[in-house]
Amino acid sequence: METAFDRVIDLLPGLVWTALADGQADFVNRRWCEYTGLSFDQARGRGWQAAVHPDDRARLVEGWLGFIQSGCSGELEARLRRHDGEYRWFLFRVCPIPDASGEIVKWGGINTDIEDRKQAEKALRALERRARMIVDGLPAMITLMTPEGELGNANQYVLEFFGETIEVLKSRPVGFSFHPDDRAEGLARWRHSVQTGHPYDHEARLRRADGVYRWFHTIGFPLRDDDGRILVWYLLQTDIDDRRQSEDKLRRSEAFLAEAQRVSATGSFSWIFATNEIVWSEQIYRMFGLDPDEPVSLERIASRVHPDDVPLFEDMIARARRHESGLEYEHRLVMPDGSIKHLHLIAHGVPDQHGQMEYIGAVQDVTDRRHSEEALGALRSEIAHMARITSLGALTASIAHEVNQPLSGIITNANTCLKMLAADPPNVAGAQETARRTVRDGNRAADVISRLRALFGKKDIALEPVDLNEAVREVIALAWSDLQRGRVVVRSELAWDLPQIMGDRVQLQQVILNLLLNAADAMKDVEDRSRRVLIRTRPEDGDCVGLCVQDVGVGFDAKAAEKLFEAFYTSKGDGMGIGLSVSRSIIENHGGRLWATLNEGPGATFSFCIPVRPGDGPGAPGPGADGAMAANAPPRLGAGS
Amino acid sequence: MSKARLIAVVDDDESVRESLPDLLREFGYAAEPFASAREFLASDRLAETDCLILDVAMPEMSGPDLQRELKRLGLAIPIIFITAHAAERVRPAVLAQGAVELLSKPFSQTALLDALGAAFLEG
Repeated sequence: METAFDRVIDLLPGLVWTALADGQADFVNRRWCEYTGLSFDQARGRGWQAAVHPDDRARLVEGWLGFIQSGCSGELEARLRRHDGEYRWFLFRVCPIPDASGEIVKWGGINTDIEDRKQAEKALRALERRARMIVDGLPAMITLMTPEGELGNANQYVLEFFGETIEVLKSRPVGFSFHPDDRAEGLARWRHSVQTGHPYDHEARLRRADGVYRWFHTIGFPLRDDDGRILVWYLLQTDIDDRRQSEDKLRRSEAFLAEAQRVSATGSFSWIFATNEIVWSEQIYRMFGLDPDEPVSLERIASRVHPDDVPLFEDMIARARRHESGLEYEHRLVMPDGSIKHLHLIAHGVPDQHGQMEYIGAVQDVTDRRHSEEALGALRSEIAHMARITSLGALTASIAHEVNQPLSGIITNANTCLKMLAADPPNVAGAQETARRTVRDGNRAADVISRLRALFGKKDIALEPVDLNEAVREVIALAWSDLQRGRVVVRSELAWDLPQIMGDRVQLQQVILNLLLNAADAMKDVEDRSRRVLIRTRPEDGDCVGLCVQDVGVGFDAKAAEKLFEAFYTSKGDGMGIGLSVSRSIIENHGGRLWATLNEGPGATFSFCIPVRPGDGPGAPGPGADGAMAANAPPRLGAGS
Repeated sequence: MSKARLIAVVDDDESVRESLPDLLREFGYAAEPFASAREFLASDRLAETDCLILDVAMPEMSGPDLQRELKRLGLAIPIIFITAHAAERVRPAVLAQGAVELLSKPFSQTALLDALGAAFLEG
């Protein structure tokens, strides 16, 4: 008779059964019968054992008897044959059923199909075996660590490296093999990874079996289950000792280079023109005072270039655009504090593998050198200036002395003479004597004057071929410091087709220097416009060369234009008035002319014109002009007498 | 009549040594030329000299050197300096040392007589 309870039992999703206290089955539900294909009568007593896999039967029965003896509930696993003959794994769970007095009168059990779980476990085992094979087979050091951070296992390469068995390694504290200097940081990082689950990535020295420490790069990553729990840490350890050593070497040589660059105030750079990729050494960043963390660009460089040198900078870029192989520049930088730096750049361009021009070069800070050059130039110019002033000053003083002495005698003698003649009776003999002395002193004064003329109008000049352009450049260089001090800007327009002339280079340079310094003097009070001087040379008609010096100074009184060239005429408070007169006599001795004109705008222009061949002069006066320079005549110029 | 005052002329320039004593004598002074400061210091006229007309720039011992030497010797002879060089630079120094006047060559007769007047007024 089937009760409602029996129906429920029959329909439960499990194989349910009961047994008597001695273990003999007295009930199996319908699902049991359906699964095994056995009837209740076949299953009763020990009949159910026929459905158990023969390999599992003895173990299952033994276990089952064990439960009965102990009176405890328990679990067992065994394969049960399905009606179609296939065995599937089942979990047998049994528990005793006591009566009111507590005595076990029956056993109840339920069998659950665990075949799928068993299969999964098997698959996992297979997977683990494969993984193990891979781990052992990889030519790399792989260590497995437990989720707690302890050593779990290690492949043969690890064992070989440390020269120990896994058991010995496991007996050691974690971090045992680190180099003492690396241990603290390595352990700290490892503990951090274990706590947070963040991958581990660290370089440290590990001690090899022979006691040698080698650098290793260790990467550790956790393997997690579906719930995100860490199952195991894999550590991949790569020997980077060789790489590390070459890095060290590289670092050392880089350090040497950086030091050399610092000491020599030289930096190096590379510049790929097409992509504008610029790489600077540290030293260049220092020179430019720019932050090494920000990328270099031409714009950033240009922001430091001295405004006057920007054309140079642009010219350099233009030349790079034309793929010119050699670049060399000297330009200035203006630093944020207003200080000026002088840089000397040399670069060599080579096409890279993509055919793009790459410039490799060096930049040297030549500020100190320039400063000493400037100081030297200033000194030289100072000396030249002093020499000019003192020679003129000394000349004037000696002229004065030479003339004053006989004048003094003349006047004193004349006074004495007058006094003697006025006496009563007149002292005629004495007067005659003093008159004679007067004549003598007069002649002496005249001698002085003619000696002076000889001095100024030096009759012989040393003839040599002179490139007037070159002479101008030298004079500008000589006067540079003076001109800088006077804030005078000199511009030169020198004709490229200027023929050489025959003349006295030193004397001509004296003239040019005199004109240039006069121009600067004429502008010393000019404040409302820039103090510009233009020196121009050009070939003139009639085989002559011309030179003019044009200033924007105070000019001169038009009525006094010719007086300018008279000796001792001066418009300057401190001038001797000799320069222009000497200059004119020098130019005239070269068969040329020197004159002054007022500009249309402010200032004056002093010009001279000299024949290319002496004697052909435009205004060449005197004997020198007529035939003295015939074929084999000595190189000598006659001055106008 | 008292003895004429003695004026010593010390100048390395011969024309001055020739001309100036003659002119001074025309004015009634006794005058004696010396070619150098040393010659004057060595002469027996040193103590009798009433006034000194002294060139500034001379080789070896200059006019101001002699001025200092006389001071050192305790000889307070009035000095009229003469020079053919620019006078402006030495003028303050020699006047500060007690010189009566500094005359630039060439000097006029009037300037000379004025200076002598001043010298004897002081002397």
